[in-house]
Amino acid sequence: MRRLVGLQKAGPRNRSDQRAELLLGALACVVLVLIAGMIIFVFAKAWPSFTHNGFDWFSPWAGGSIDEELTRIFESPANPNDYVYTMHAWPLIYSTALITLGAVIIGTAFALLSAVFIVEFAPPAIQKVLEPVVRLLAAVPSVIYGLIGILVIVPFVGNHLISQGAKDSVAGVVGLSGASWGVGVLILTVMITPIMIAIVVDALRAVPIGWREGSVSLGVNRWRALWTVSVRAARPAIVAAAVLATARALGEAIMLSMVTGSVGFAPNPLDGIIFFVEPSRPLAATIVDNAEGLSVAPFEQTLYAFASVLLISAAFLSFGGWYIRRRLRRYTLSPI
Amino acid sequence: MAVIAALSLFAAVPAAAQAKKIITISGSTSVFPLETQLARKWIKTKKGKKFGFRILQGGSNVGISDVAKGRVSIGASSRDPAAGDPGGLVFTKIARDAICIITHPSNQLGNITAATIKNIFVGPTFTNWSQVPSAPISGTIDPIGRAPTSGTHDAFRNIFLGGTNQSSPPVAAKASNGLVQQGVQTDPQAIGYVSLAFSSGVNVVNYNGVACTLRNAASFQYGGVRSFYFVTRGAPVGGVKKFIGWVLASNKANNIIGTDWVPLH
Repeated sequence: MRRLVGLQKAGPRNRSDQRAELLLGALACVVLVLIAGMIIFVFAKAWPSFTHNGFDWFSPWAGGSIDEELTRIFESPANPNDYVYTMHAWPLIYSTALITLGAVIIGTAFALLSAVFIVEFAPPAIQKVLEPVVRLLAAVPSVIYGLIGILVIVPFVGNHLISQGAKDSVAGVVGLSGASWGVGVLILTVMITPIMIAIVVDALRAVPIGWREGSVSLGVNRWRALWTVSVRAARPAIVAAAVLATARALGEAIMLSMVTGSVGFAPNPLDGIIFFVEPSRPLAATIVDNAEGLSVAPFEQTLYAFASVLLISAAFLSFGGWYIRRRLRRYTLSPI
Repeated sequence: MAVIAALSLFAAVPAAAQAKKIITISGSTSVFPLETQLARKWIKTKKGKKFGFRILQGGSNVGISDVAKGRVSIGASSRDPAAGDPGGLVFTKIARDAICIITHPSNQLGNITAATIKNIFVGPTFTNWSQVPSAPISGTIDPIGRAPTSGTHDAFRNIFLGGTNQSSPPVAAKASNGLVQQGVQTDPQAIGYVSLAFSSGVNVVNYNGVACTLRNAASFQYGGVRSFYFVTRGAPVGGVKKFIGWVLASNKANNIIGTDWVPLH
């Protein structure tokens, strides 16, 4: 990044410039202080939940039913010495990871292929329709997707795709009503793909035409030139799109609370095809479903613990994204 | 879901009148429609027109903790007083509400006993409809319930399960009455519990041989009845006392309660 330091030093300092600089700097500092304050606040609130459970908070081997543990925390006696904190959040963490990764991986593939189609292969007429539609889709509120999921997709999956034998095989362990992490991934993919397409389309357009012309003039066909030159040059943008989509997927609460079955359960891949229709509620949806319990102190601290895990994940995500983009930028002119 | 919907009610009196005292209420989402209607009616009465209302939702536990901390004048609760509640609170019962057991319309189950409900929701011992006495369908049972923080969950546990917690999984823990109703409407093998006001579009099952209706709940024949409370810090005083007194004694209030809930007398 080139700065204007040299320019500033050369000319006489302009008063209104200085004022604007101070004002903008102050605003930026306020934002930083707010973010830092929020992180400190959330962690201070969450701390008792982590200290009481130690590593078991995260451990996949701790066992126990998360919903029953939450009930016991909610029913803690009024005396602060008797507060119950015992909780093993693994099913929720696992569910969050499963749903987020599933949607982002499928979404990235879809977004890349659609963007390539829009930029390279679509006739201008289709291009003119597709691009605004994609941008419109990116702005649809999640609760609308949730309603479609709960009114159409969940009943369809439950009544037509899951056999009675499959339901019987897990009877008493978990109910297969159609509401499942698989449906969650499906709808989440639809939700996050449009924004990724929009970003990747912009990046592919920004690749200098000369680079592609050069490779084509060397005798490479259109598809190969696209794949080895354009897409390669757009890699930082693809990473940026994936990071943005992951952030949205991590924080998605309402839609997932509606379609993933409201059960704190860790789906088992060994169950075969049933695995995909097993219910599983992620962290953000758990916070939304149980927000009514905020008045009970240990329960509030537990919900803040969920929130802090989401915050940390989001922080690592943007740091990771920034690092990867920095490495990839060496091969590109892309502005993102 | 703790969607905090603020609603201010002001009586239509000339602006010249003296500043009105505001009574604040927060708490249960189940009680919210009832208390709103009651407040609207009361501020049109002779005593009530000196007062205004500010009513918030948030859940029974929010109402109880708000009133204990002095943030509101009245906390609305759809659950009974609990051991963990702050001291010094007075629970005044204002109405009753029935909790119905519901199944999919295609599953015309006529009657269910307390023992069967416990077998389905706790353990669970019953996982197939063929184990349920006189069930018209067979296949896996999909039990649907409420999240542990809800007043309906608390009432269901105390009345139908004898104080035992539902086993989750497999019981789904939905965030609202409406989501339970919707879940049961679309799943032929589901069974769930909702407030009486949410029992349309599904098969309402008799509990211990008694139909879940307003009439049976009012006559104490139906067993699945819970109470709605107005909670105050200490005995109610001033405008709050007048309002609660009107809710308990007046015929107009009784008529409002009688539309969807069970009056006390």
